[in-house]
Amino acid sequence: MENTERNLYIVVASVLFALAAAGIITDGLSETIKGLMTLQIKGARLIQDFTVVGVGAALLNAALVATIGLVLVFFSSVSLSGPTIAAIFTMAGFGLFGKTVLNCLPIIGGVWIAARIARKKLGSYSLIALFGTALGPLVTYIMFELGISLAVSIPLGILTGVAVGFILPAVAGSMLGLHQGYNLYNVGFTCGFIGLFFSSLLKGANKMAPLEIVWNLQPHPTLIFLIPIICAGFILAALLFEGAHKTKDIIVAFLSLQKLSGRLPTDFVDNSSAAGTLLNMGLLGFASWGYVALVGAPFNGPVLGGIFTVIGFGAFGKTLRNSWPIVAGAVLATWVFGKQFSAPGPILAALFCTTLAPVAGQFGIIAGLVAGFIHLFMVETTAAWHGGLDLYNNGFAGGLTATLIVAVLQWYNTNRPKEDFDR
Amino acid sequence: MKRKEFLGRLIGELTNFILEGNPLRMVVSLHQEEDGAHVSIFDDHKRSDKEIEMIRSALNPKARRPELAEYYGLMAGHDMTWEARLKLIGWQVKHASVQNSDSGIQIDLWLGSDAFNPADFTLHT
Repeated sequence: MENTERNLYIVVASVLFALAAAGIITDGLSETIKGLMTLQIKGARLIQDFTVVGVGAALLNAALVATIGLVLVFFSSVSLSGPTIAAIFTMAGFGLFGKTVLNCLPIIGGVWIAARIARKKLGSYSLIALFGTALGPLVTYIMFELGISLAVSIPLGILTGVAVGFILPAVAGSMLGLHQGYNLYNVGFTCGFIGLFFSSLLKGANKMAPLEIVWNLQPHPTLIFLIPIICAGFILAALLFEGAHKTKDIIVAFLSLQKLSGRLPTDFVDNSSAAGTLLNMGLLGFASWGYVALVGAPFNGPVLGGIFTVIGFGAFGKTLRNSWPIVAGAVLATWVFGKQFSAPGPILAALFCTTLAPVAGQFGIIAGLVAGFIHLFMVETTAAWHGGLDLYNNGFAGGLTATLIVAVLQWYNTNRPKEDFDR
Repeated sequence: MKRKEFLGRLIGELTNFILEGNPLRMVVSLHQEEDGAHVSIFDDHKRSDKEIEMIRSALNPKARRPELAEYYGLMAGHDMTWEARLKLIGWQVKHASVQNSDSGIQIDLWLGSDAFNPADFTLHT
């Protein structure tokens, strides 16, 4: 393992440790463990804010879910770099509103079986396995919300998770072709697509309960100050990586990242430097936190989940330069449609819409604004389509939006007469 | 992945890259063995040393990236509308060499199983 990767392991492990420690310190060990157990059997479909059960339990759950990702990366011999950092931070974020240790493992098991059958190592499908845990709520729903005997529902939930994980690699690869890498949450797009079938099946069997939003409005100091502390830590880590005397090099690396489109797969650690990437992650985190504070939205589980995801993808596709036009588009749509900026849908869309950052990175500000605008009204509709079973609903809506935009631009680009042969 | 599909993707992405230079001539050569293959591509457009080095480093990544090769590598050769991305190829090949030949650039890719030995190849370029 190279020094850079070893240092990244230290940074990521420190964040996960900090999350767990913050949780235990906030609520005490016994209360936190009790809450953690409750979360494992609690409904997890969109939007279930785990901080309602307990801030400590939610933070510990997030740390444990992300630790699964970190351990998988370590033992499957893939690099801890941009893509895997994005996956681990996304898992941590969604550990605050939907992912649990219990509902993640069967899906990862299914991906492992698919890898075995394809005669590949799990490392080859590691990103699909980690991001694929977005369908965790399906496992929980079948286990605990179907209203049948636990003796039947628990094995059925595990089996369903394994089955979903098994088909994920096949479907995820195909979905990439639709948007050509312009939707960063491709597995979210994939999970939404798969979720449509399971949602329809459950509706057909008259077993689909209506969606409900559990949204914590109680401000808590731990949740409010967690992100600034972690982001300050990233910037400090960037300085420690290179040495404070090389601040200029770090800034140059950070600025070089801003020139990238971010189209999948752009590993920032590989394209620039670990220090420049950490600075990008830290600044994206501060910007996201600042927007949430500005519009007066609560710092609860889902909102922190959104910020963690933005931070994670600060190593794999998102920069300040390619993100702001998308966010501006979503904010504009929120204003045009007369929605409240701090309401659950708009605030989450403003954070997660950055899945479309490569659209702005490649095609410019106007395309970014249009993408963000479309994304807002799409994302408010799509959750109902898959019954909230796909936690990366913004990835699903983003995939649809990117597919539309890319198809139109592709048609335009391939039909410019001046570049054609005379026929 | 089937050999035909794998080769098609890599050749497609490589062709995309060469065509971006709007060459008057392009030649693609393929030589297959039991456990590997050699793809060679030429054009009539010479590159600067800096460009050659950039192409070489994109095609020869610092580390093996199976998590990117098996998943995002599927995008190789899929789209000819926008710029080619040589890294998609680099993650999936054993080795790549890049040089200016008499007429233009020459890129050689070696791909295959772990048992594959490029030295066994008899293709003379």
